[in-house]
Amino acid sequence: MGGVELLQFALAGLKNGAIYALVALGFTIVYASTGVINFAQGEFYMLGGMLSVWAYADLGLPLPLAAVVGVMTTAVVGAVFELLAIRPRKDGNPLALIIITVGGSMVLSSSARHLFGPLERALPSFSGTGTVSILGAALEIQSIWILGLTALAVASLWYLYNRTSLGRAMRACAVDRNAARLVGIDTRRVVTVSFLLAAALGALAGLAVTPLTQTAFNVGPSVGIKGFAAAILGGLGNPIAAVAGGLVLGMLESMSIAFISSTYKDAIALIVLLSVLFWRPQGLFGRSGREKV
Amino acid sequence: MRERIDMRLVVAAVLGLTVVAAVAGLPFFTSERYILRVFTFAGVNVIIITGMALLFGYAGQVSLGHAAFFGVGAYASAFVVTQLGWPWIGGVIVAIVLTATGGLLLALPSLRLKGHYLAMATLAFGEIMRVVFTEARTVTGGPDGLSGIPYPSLGPLAFDSASASYWLVWAVAGITLLLAANLVRSRAGRAMRALHGSELGATACGIDITGIKVRVFVISASFAGLAGALYAHVVGFISPSTFSLHVSVLLVAMAVLGGTSSLLGPVIAAVLLTLIPFSDAVIPGLSRSALETIQEWQEDIYGLTIIAVMIFMPGGIGGLLRRIGTGRSAER
Amino acid sequence: MSLLQVRDVTRRFGGLVAVDDVSFDVHEGQIKAIIGPNGAGKTTLFNVVTAFDRPDGGTVTFDGVDLTGSRPHRIVSSGIARTFQNTQLFDEMTARENVMAGAHAVTKAGFLATALRLPWTVREEREVAKEAGRLIRLVGLDEWEDVPAADMPHGLRRLLEIARALASRPRMLLLDEPAAGLNTAETTALGEALYRIRDEGATIVIVEHDMGLVMEVSDEIVVLDQGRKIAEGPPRLIQKDPSVIAAYLGEEDVDEL
Ligand SMILES: Nc1ncnc2c1ncn2[C@@H]1O[C@H](COP(=O)(O)OP(=O)(O)OP(=O)(O)O)[C@@H](O)[C@H]1O
Ligand SMILES: [Mg+2]
Repeated sequence: MGGVELLQFALAGLKNGAIYALVALGFTIVYASTGVINFAQGEFYMLGGMLSVWAYADLGLPLPLAAVVGVMTTAVVGAVFELLAIRPRKDGNPLALIIITVGGSMVLSSSARHLFGPLERALPSFSGTGTVSILGAALEIQSIWILGLTALAVASLWYLYNRTSLGRAMRACAVDRNAARLVGIDTRRVVTVSFLLAAALGALAGLAVTPLTQTAFNVGPSVGIKGFAAAILGGLGNPIAAVAGGLVLGMLESMSIAFISSTYKDAIALIVLLSVLFWRPQGLFGRSGREKV
Repeated sequence: MRERIDMRLVVAAVLGLTVVAAVAGLPFFTSERYILRVFTFAGVNVIIITGMALLFGYAGQVSLGHAAFFGVGAYASAFVVTQLGWPWIGGVIVAIVLTATGGLLLALPSLRLKGHYLAMATLAFGEIMRVVFTEARTVTGGPDGLSGIPYPSLGPLAFDSASASYWLVWAVAGITLLLAANLVRSRAGRAMRALHGSELGATACGIDITGIKVRVFVISASFAGLAGALYAHVVGFISPSTFSLHVSVLLVAMAVLGGTSSLLGPVIAAVLLTLIPFSDAVIPGLSRSALETIQEWQEDIYGLTIIAVMIFMPGGIGGLLRRIGTGRSAER
Repeated sequence: MSLLQVRDVTRRFGGLVAVDDVSFDVHEGQIKAIIGPNGAGKTTLFNVVTAFDRPDGGTVTFDGVDLTGSRPHRIVSSGIARTFQNTQLFDEMTARENVMAGAHAVTKAGFLATALRLPWTVREEREVAKEAGRLIRLVGLDEWEDVPAADMPHGLRRLLEIARALASRPRMLLLDEPAAGLNTAETTALGEALYRIRDEGATIVIVEHDMGLVMEVSDEIVVLDQGRKIAEGPPRLIQKDPSVIAAYLGEEDVDEL
């Protein structure tokens, strides 16, 4: 295989990795504040695309505005989901909450089908369908958008976490929820905000990809699982690790297509997921903690 | 006190016998293939849910990949019967052995860890198997699936009619339920409920909580495998969509609605939720458009059921039945 | 030789030394108390002895067998049973079922045998139920046998946990603050139950803040303070020990000493 071809695969891996990173960030943020794996995370990705298409094609809004509407609406859906389905379960039992998110995932995808129909829908590229050449390899301009938006999201998140009081509250909750409550942090608000942010990140990913791949009511679960694999690969609960996990997973997938075959491409993420769970459950970048009684 | 218990036993026995008679007698009341088919399918789900009930309702673990075990059982049995010419019972044994082994390999590493790694591992396993079912064409027939799978038969006994396969499936369901009921009313069942109540307390009683969870998972996986070996031959056709994540989630909905520390609850839930898309089989005058509306909204029904049960009645139908049985005012 | 030997046990949590080089012996048939102010390391010591926690140094030997590095569920079969400071009952199960679960380590019926309802498992089950009834009477919970643990008052839950621990027929019973939350009458009943249990042949180690109870029932006392053993001896001497009094200064228990 030539160097250019390899670079081509690497660029594709980077682009997919950025998407996985955004979805993984959503998992990580919710996990950090609640200890819950949010199985509805993939549906936020789906909604981001679907709602943007709706705003653009059905409402006739200009694309940038439609994109903002798509992401914001999904964020609100995320927060409302938390308020209606997560918060009422008072004991916060993680297994119960996980099961609730499984149910939520069904309801969200089904609602999207009721509202927007069963067909695939598309969005135009943000700035033309052209490609740029990087050392001979072609990269779609839309992919540059994806990478840029991911970088922007990570930077904003970094700012939120390190420079705002809300971010500090979120970090405190991640370390120890009870202690955070004791020092006067409104942990319930943190949980709602976490779902809102997670939904926005997922929606951003879904929005950015739709011009390349189209979208439909049922795309959520498969992307959700990959984002989840990325979060686990990095180390659940740590945002930087989630981004790293996403990029590594994207690369692994691309390289497996390049060197093995594309038949089992979708299984790669899952095999990675199982291997990490079995051999390094704290993730590549996580530290192993001593269990306490 | 004593008399009350005896009365309850009598009521339970009468109810139980009525249900058994009704289940066994269904083919005498209707000869319509469609209705028998639907209830046969419900019986298959009852077998799977019996294992899920042990896993979720007793051992407090959740699997998001049980449809995959169901599928492994179905494909394995179909393969050895159609390709290798084995008798059906051989297919059943292969299905059980494969799913039990798979369950063990999946459960051992993930149950050693705290938290909910089993849910994630089973989810990944289910998706891997979905890819395998679609891509391993020589064994599975790819996306189109396998058809022409012969009816189950035991020696000279061929279950080649709708009513015969109905009886076979429900007889097997009855046996699995009986085994499970024996299990939960014994030392092993107590250990399961104990670890659900308090893992620390259970460990202090000398209960190897990981060992128990692994065993329960293996049992539940092999029940699903057994159900697969029945389903493939009774229906005669299998394809990947029958064993998707979607079906795994439906099974979770049945287990959740069925409730904790109960076998009866999950059985009722499995039958109810199985019937939803086939409501016309139980509601005679149901119009075509009403049925389509129900089918259109079934996902929402399943999803909302899961959420509502987890929030408003975490004990599920089982908890409800217990409350009626003991006259306790509220569940703690 | 003593039944339990704790030798140089140390357990650190980060910079904090929760148990600091502690050694002591427990002899067969004794009731031994471990006391000390909050955070002294008593529970941690229990956790180490029962293998719920691993020491950073030192050994625990029971009846000549080194238990260090055992898995916690195996400890029960070697003859040590325990209760918890925060009771760990099975709330959905009745009092009798709780105690029957406690017999897990001394019964055999496995998954296959019980699923098939083999006759010997039925017999074993009947014996376990009978023994559970006896233990429930031993701790005085006769009226609560068929009540779910969740519906029992707090004080009685502690007694139930003791009955459950006894179901494994332990040679040694470790009780972590059994009198916490009990009223005076219940505490008296607990003291009597402890004597009955000792008379049945079990050795008892008790962590307790109720000094009245401790002074009343224990043969010997170990005093911990900030992880270190600061005194050991019979109740009479411990009461007068200046270092013990100093450790408790500022603690409310000082009056009772
Ligand atoms: N898992 C743990 N992680 C970190 N620190 C711990 C842990 N367990 C106990 N500690 C600390 O070790 C010290 C000893 O705790 P321990 O629970 O053994 O005390 P105790 O004597 O039982 O106190 P109390 O009378 O309040 O029950 C305390 O400072 C406690 O905060
Ligand atoms: Mg303590």
